[in-house]
Amino acid sequence: MSSSDVLPATGHSDIPGGRGGGWDLLGSEISVLFRRRRTWAMLVAVALIPVLLAVAVRLSSSTLAPGQGPPFLDRVTQNGLFVGFTAMVVAIPLFLPLTIGVVAGDTIAGEAGLGTLRYLLVAPAGRVRLLLVKYAGAALFCLVATLTLTVSGALIGAALFPVGPVTLLSGDTISVTESLLRSLLVASYVTVSLLGLSMIGLFISTLTDVPVGAMAATIVVSVVAQILDVIPQLSWLHPWLFSHYWLGFADLLRQPLDLSSFGQNAIVQVCYLAVFGALAYSRFVTKDILS
Amino acid sequence: MSRNSLKWLPAVVVPAIVVAAVIAVPLQAGAAVNLPDKTPEQVLLLVHDSTVSTFSGTVSQSSDLGLPALDLSAGMTKSMQKSMSESSPEGTAASVPGASTTGALSTALELLSGSHEFRVYVGGENKSRVQIKDRMAERDVVHNGNDVWLYDSSSNAATHMSVPTDLATSAESKFAELKSLIPTDLSTPAQVADRLLSELDPSTTVSVGTDARVAGRSVYQLVLTPKTADSLVASVSIAVDSETGLPVQVVVMAEGQSAPALQVGFTALDFAAPDAERFDFVPPANATVTEQALPAQPDHARGDHAGAQGPTAAELPRVTGSGWSSIVEVPAAAVPAELGNKPLIDQLTTGVDGGRALTTSLMTVFLATDGRVFAGAVPLAQLKAAAE
Repeated sequence: MSSSDVLPATGHSDIPGGRGGGWDLLGSEISVLFRRRRTWAMLVAVALIPVLLAVAVRLSSSTLAPGQGPPFLDRVTQNGLFVGFTAMVVAIPLFLPLTIGVVAGDTIAGEAGLGTLRYLLVAPAGRVRLLLVKYAGAALFCLVATLTLTVSGALIGAALFPVGPVTLLSGDTISVTESLLRSLLVASYVTVSLLGLSMIGLFISTLTDVPVGAMAATIVVSVVAQILDVIPQLSWLHPWLFSHYWLGFADLLRQPLDLSSFGQNAIVQVCYLAVFGALAYSRFVTKDILS
Repeated sequence: MSRNSLKWLPAVVVPAIVVAAVIAVPLQAGAAVNLPDKTPEQVLLLVHDSTVSTFSGTVSQSSDLGLPALDLSAGMTKSMQKSMSESSPEGTAASVPGASTTGALSTALELLSGSHEFRVYVGGENKSRVQIKDRMAERDVVHNGNDVWLYDSSSNAATHMSVPTDLATSAESKFAELKSLIPTDLSTPAQVADRLLSELDPSTTVSVGTDARVAGRSVYQLVLTPKTADSLVASVSIAVDSETGLPVQVVVMAEGQSAPALQVGFTALDFAAPDAERFDFVPPANATVTEQALPAQPDHARGDHAGAQGPTAAELPRVTGSGWSSIVEVPAAAVPAELGNKPLIDQLTTGVDGGRALTTSLMTVFLATDGRVFAGAVPLAQLKAAAE
C-alpha cells in the first residue's frame, strides 16, 4: 500500500518493452489497480455495507415486521446468511455503479490526465491491447467488489446471528452449503450485470483527458438508465437497458433455480459490450494522443 | 483520412448488427408457421381430446386496460388497506395469496394491471403449483391431493387449507346432474364442439386465424369475434398447441386499441412431469402458519354480502342485452352502502353525468347516483342508457 504513495498513481514503471507484453501489461495493470489506495478504500467501503446493516439490526431492540425495510432484512435476525443478500440489494442501485464508474472512468482518461498514456503507447503494446488490458482490469474489479460484498456479508452474518438452513422465496428450505453456492451465483450475476457499465465507462474514458469527468459521466449514465427504467411510457426500451436486470438476481433465490433472468441479463450485457467496445475501439485508435 | 474513417467502421457496423439482431430474433421466432388447415370445430375437438396431464412452464400475463399500472398497496394508507380487507368477503380474501394482508381488492387490481410472470407446475391430477414472481418476492399456491398451501414470501406467511375429499365427488355428481338436464345428447366430444359452436353462432364469429408460434410450439389460433358493434371487445384469440391440444395463450383485443388489452400465455413450456418434490410443501420453520377452514357451503359465501337471510328478488342482479353487449345491473339494495365513499373507489372512478364511472378498454362500470351499479363490456353511453 505504501508503495502507491511513492509511485505516480498509474506509473506502469515495470512495463517490458519486448514482444508478448500483453500478459505482462495485464499483470502490471492489475497490480497497479489493486495497489492503489483508492481501490482499497472503495473495497473497504463495499465490505462495510453488510457490516453496517448487520450491526444496525443487531443493536436495534425493535424487531422488524416481515416485509418492512429492504428485502430480506426482517429475516436477518433469524438467519445471518441473509445479510449478504440484503446488502447486495442495497448496494446495486448506487454504490456498486459508483465504484465501477470510478474504476472504469479512470482507465484511459486517468493515464491521459497524468500524461502517462503516450509512454504506455510507446512500448509496442498497441492501442487495442491497451484497451483490452484496461477493460480486463475494470472487469476484474467488478468481480472483486461483488465477492468482497458477499464474503463480508457471510462473515458478519455468521458472527452476529445464528446460521442455519435458508428459506428461499418459494418457501422451500435449502442447506447452508447450498445457500453459500447460491450466494456465489448471486455474486457472479451481479458481476455480469456490471460488465456493460464498465464498457460504457471505458468508452467515455477514451473521450476525455479529464478522469473525473469520465467517472462522473459513467455514474450519471447508470443513474439515468435506472430512471428510464421506471418510466412506464418507455416500457419498450426497458428490456434493453443495461440496468434492467440488475435486481433480477432474486430469481436465483427461487426453487427450482430460475436461470432465465441470468441468461437475459447476460445477453443484454453482451450487446452493450459489443456496441461500446466497438465505439471505444474506433475512438481510441483514431484519437490523437497528445499527453 | 481514409484510414481513419475505416477505423470508425466498427463503431457503425457493430451497433447496426446488434440492433438488427435485436429486431430480427423475435421476428424469426414468430416466423410463418404452416399447419394443416383445420375448421374451428376440429380445433375445439383437438382441445377436448387433449391428454396433457403433466407440464411445467412460465406464463407471462400483461394487460393494457387503461387502468393506472401502479402498485396500489404501496401508495395506500394503512386505514385504506384495513377498510378494504374488512369489506371484502371472507372467501375472496383466502382465495388470493397475500390478499389477507393487503386487501383482496387491491390484490386483484394489482394482478390485473401491469404485467406479471408466473411459473406453473402441473403433475397430474390434484398436483399443481403456481409461483407468482414478484420483485424480490414470490407468492406460491401449492395444491397436492387434499392439501392447499398458500405462501407469501414478503410476509413470510403460510396458509393451509384442506380440501375435503367429498368436495370433488360432490362436484362430479353435480356435473353429471347438470349433464342430464341438458336436452341434447352430448355423449361424444364432436357433439359438444358442435353444440358449443351453435350456441356461439348468433353472437360470435368463430374462425381459425393464422397459425403462429407460442413458447416454441406451433399453434392454431381460434378467433372469437363479436358480431355486435356495441361491445368493447374486438376479438378473443385462443392459441391451441397443434400437437397436444393444450391452450397455450389467450389474447383479448379491445376496440380501438392496437395493443392487446389482456394477454396471458406461456413463454416456455415443457411437457415432462415436474419433480414430485415440487408439490410437497413444508412451511419454513419461522413462517407464521394459519390454518384456514374452507367455508362449509362455498356457494353461500358470496351471498353473505347482501344479507344474512339470502338475497331477495329485489336484490338480485339483472342482466339486460345478450351476448357480448350484455349489461349487468346490480340494484341499489344489493350494493353495500359504504361503496360510494371509499377512497379507492374515488381514486379509480371519474365523476360523470349522473354518477361515477370506471372506464377501461374492456369493461365499463357505472355507479349511478341512486346507488345502482351497471357493468358490461360496452361503452359508457350504453350503460347510461340502461340506467334510464
